[in-house]
Amino acid sequence: MRPLTLKRVLWDCAVLLALLFLVVVVSLKLGAVPVSMYGLGRDLIRVALGRSSELSSEYRLIVFDIRLPRILLGVFVGASLSVAGASFQALLRNPLADPYVLGVSSGSALGAILALVAAPHLHLSSLAGALLTPLFAFLGAMATIAAVYFLARREGQIDSGTLLLAGIISASFLSAVIMFLMTTLPGRDLRGMAFWLMGDLSTPLPASYRWLLAVGFFAAAGAVYTTAADLNLLLAGEREAIHLGVDIVRVRLVVYVAASFLTALAVSVSGAIGYVGLLVPHVMRLLFRSDYRLLLPTAALGGAIAVVIADTLARTVVAPTELPVGAMTAMAGAPLFVYLLRRRLT
Amino acid sequence: MGFQRTGRRGCVAGRRQVFAAVFLLAANTHVQNAAPGGTGPRVSQAPMQTAVEFTDEAGRIVRVPQPVRRIVSLAPSLTETLFALGAGNLLVGDTDYCDYPPEALSKPKVGGAINPSIEQIVALRPDLVLATKSLNRRETVAALDRLGIPTYVTDPHTVEAMIASTARLADVAGVHGAGAALAASLRERLAALQSRLNGEPARSVLFVVWTDPLISVGRDTFIADALRWAGARSVVESPQDWPQISLEGALRLQPEFLVFSGEHSEAEQRNLEALAQLPGWRDLDAAHEGRFAVVSEAFIRPAPRLLYAIEQLARQLHPQAFLSPPPPEQKPADAPAKPGLAGQTGSLGAPRFLEGRAACAR
Repeated sequence: MRPLTLKRVLWDCAVLLALLFLVVVVSLKLGAVPVSMYGLGRDLIRVALGRSSELSSEYRLIVFDIRLPRILLGVFVGASLSVAGASFQALLRNPLADPYVLGVSSGSALGAILALVAAPHLHLSSLAGALLTPLFAFLGAMATIAAVYFLARREGQIDSGTLLLAGIISASFLSAVIMFLMTTLPGRDLRGMAFWLMGDLSTPLPASYRWLLAVGFFAAAGAVYTTAADLNLLLAGEREAIHLGVDIVRVRLVVYVAASFLTALAVSVSGAIGYVGLLVPHVMRLLFRSDYRLLLPTAALGGAIAVVIADTLARTVVAPTELPVGAMTAMAGAPLFVYLLRRRLT
Repeated sequence: MGFQRTGRRGCVAGRRQVFAAVFLLAANTHVQNAAPGGTGPRVSQAPMQTAVEFTDEAGRIVRVPQPVRRIVSLAPSLTETLFALGAGNLLVGDTDYCDYPPEALSKPKVGGAINPSIEQIVALRPDLVLATKSLNRRETVAALDRLGIPTYVTDPHTVEAMIASTARLADVAGVHGAGAALAASLRERLAALQSRLNGEPARSVLFVVWTDPLISVGRDTFIADALRWAGARSVVESPQDWPQISLEGALRLQPEFLVFSGEHSEAEQRNLEALAQLPGWRDLDAAHEGRFAVVSEAFIRPAPRLLYAIEQLARQLHPQAFLSPPPPEQKPADAPAKPGLAGQTGSLGAPRFLEGRAACAR
């Protein structure tokens, strides 16, 4: 195999970036309300030229106020989940590792439910009220990851098998608590939770949280990227990595915290979208290389593409009714997973 | 009433405009499309349009432009209520589940009540979106708020609250006279029913929303209240709205009647017979003695038609109270609300629900 060059990384990313742009434009066009390609192109050019005041009111609302924020949310959620999945897979040296499997999604959902329960008693302003749910979801995700980490720690060492089991146990325990709360609490606002547990991008976010999402993604993904070379060595074997001078404790800490943060960020705004963190990195390994210096950016772009496509399908297949995006990713993801599994075996 | 007006003069002008709009809509349906775009010469005089502030039943302050010309309803009960108020022509979109009256079926659909397409709602350019707390998600309301679309939320927990809500909705939608008339006629019907059932012991009933798993209704729902008006008492005392009940719990409560709501009476009857054979169910005295009552689906919709479903249930639970000739107040009850109830009384009191249902009651 030829050595990985910067040119190669940039070239592959450019291809994926172009594909993402195409997917976003097509997704902007598709939806319950028909939008002409000509009108969309005209308005996109107007926006690009900074003449957004000339937009037709219908396009402004439907394309730019409803579809575009949702698509951008999908881009960041997909990229975050996929980078987090790739990171966990290297960290735990286990191809099954994924935010969903580690129980993070359930912890986040529990946090969101607690926020909905607490909200009426706190007398918050409307902005604080809108921020409360993602904030609690974020705290729930971080708390779960910390708990799973300590459950799996034995004599200062993390065993990846134990960690996965701890994640699965936590996920089922937390799901049971969620079911308990949903059936016993009288609140009517919990109805939306079932939809949310499947993963859903239709809930609008306050602008401040959208900024947090974007900045948080780049900071955390950047942090993971600084360890990309070390992750390659780590995958070859822990002992080998230590012999080659990898500061394994530091790499673990950075990647674990950053990947957890990315997961919490994604889940706090979209609920539990499964399979993206698990599958996209594997597909990118097949399409490109498993070198983490290339895998991390391609996984980010691939995850964004996958979630935007899945959400576009979720918006359109039974339009005007909407499906939760998690149902789409699971329907497409599970067969793909089986295919990859069989391929590996033969 | 729980709202304040910001522009008194605008309101009077608005009312005149509603009449103009209604007249034009009746004359030419194309005006409906032209009006909000600004091309309709008479109905869209922007400076004349003022906003009135209402406090909705979720406690939110909603600024509704007057006159309201385009309404999207996100719940079957709200769709029914609009038609009952004679404002069905203002409805430009509703949900997949809005099936009553039949005209509601032909309105553009925005998806399900829980997961409608926001962009489809926006594309219908509504002046006002109606939602109800018990069915719609607050995320949907939040999304509409963010887009600046006035969204009025109802939340009736009793039959009286449903009637009051209906009257308020008439004001919000700008069909001012219809609300009071309809509310008065509904209250008269309730009073007439109450005087008929006076002295009848309340039947203990299990209201079955779903059989597998067994889902009933909680004490804070309008359904539990509707049961009270029908001379029944729900055996389930849950703070939850749709509690799941174990068969064991149902056995312990031993209701006198099982109450079902459904549309297809023959299929329903067959289901009930099958149900009465199942282990657990067959141990319910009400099931193996065939003490079933089947009511119209209107019973689970907080809309004016609920009153007829209540009467329908009362007839099945207390047939002896209906043996005497109808009290004299029955006729004037229908008379004042011509616009809304004209279509209603025809199909509601009508054989559609009662045919074959009388056999269900013992």
